[in-house]
Amino acid sequence: MSTIPRVSSAIPGEPPHFGSVLAHQPEIAASFFALYGRFWGSDVLSARIKEVARMRNARVTECGFCRNVRFDKALGQGLGEEVVDDITDGYETSAKLTEAEKAALKFTDALIHDPDLLTGDARAALQRHLTPAQIAELGLGVTLFLALAKALITMGLEPEQMDRTVLPTPAVLEAAA
Amino acid sequence: MSAVCAALAADPVLAAHYADFRDKTEAALDPALSALVRQAVAAVHGIAAAPDESGLDEGTRLCLAYARRMPFEHTAITDAEAAAVVAHLGEAGFVAFSVLAALADAECRAEMVGLPGLAGN
Repeated sequence: MSTIPRVSSAIPGEPPHFGSVLAHQPEIAASFFALYGRFWGSDVLSARIKEVARMRNARVTECGFCRNVRFDKALGQGLGEEVVDDITDGYETSAKLTEAEKAALKFTDALIHDPDLLTGDARAALQRHLTPAQIAELGLGVTLFLALAKALITMGLEPEQMDRTVLPTPAVLEAAA
Repeated sequence: MSAVCAALAADPVLAAHYADFRDKTEAALDPALSALVRQAVAAVHGIAAAPDESGLDEGTRLCLAYARRMPFEHTAITDAEAAAVVAHLGEAGFVAFSVLAALADAECRAEMVGLPGLAGN
C-alpha cells in the first residue's frame, strides 16, 4: 500500500489529502459533502452506531486515516477508546459493545467481507435490534465508508504516520445568507 | 436503481443526495467507461457477465484491469498501475474513476447482502 500521493492537490498551498484531491472534481466533492453531512446529521441511527461501523470498516480495509479519525458526536454518545478497542475480531464477546452494536458489526462484516455472515441468527439479530430505516442508514454508511476508504487508499492518500484526531462530525452545510 | 437507493426509499431526501453523488461521479467520466467499470466490478463479484473488451482501446482495457483489482486487491495496486491510469484519464479523471470503481464495488456488496430487503423494500 502506497503512502505516496498518486494525484496532486487541486487546492494551491495544501498538501494532497482527501478534500484537496477531491477538489479536482468540485461537483463530486460538493455532492459528497452534502450527502455525508445529511447522513451524519440524521438521528434515525445513532452517531455511535455509525461510528462503530466506520471503525470496523477502517480496520478491515486497512485505512489508517479512517482508523485514526474520531467524530465528536459519537464521542459525546459514549464511544470512548475502551469501546473502540473492542471493535476487532472477537467483538461478539465484548462486554462494552451493546447487542445492537454487535448486530451492526456483523452486518458491516457481511457487507465489506462476506455476505454469508448475515444468515440465520445474525440476520434475525440485526432485524431485532434495528428498524428497517436504521438498517437503510447503516447500509448507506457502510457503503460510503468502504468506498471512500478504498478510494483514499488507491489514490495514495494514506498517511505515513497519524495521531488520533477528533474532528467535528460532518454536518449539513447551510447556504450562505 | 442501485441497492442503496432502493434501501433508502423511505427517506427521499437522503436517497436524492445519494443518487446525486452517484450521478455526479458517473457524469465526470465518459458514460461508456462508467458503464464498463461498473460491469467489470460486478463481474468480479459474480453478479454480471464480464464486459466484452474485444473492441476497446488499450487505455480503456487498462482502466478495467485496474477496476477489477478494487474488490479484493485494493491494497496491492502499485504506483505504476495508478500512474498508467492517470496518464490515460488525467488527474481529475483518475479521481472520478477511483471514486466510481470503489463505489461500484461497495454497491455490489450492498446488493449481495440483500440491503433493500433488510430495509423493508
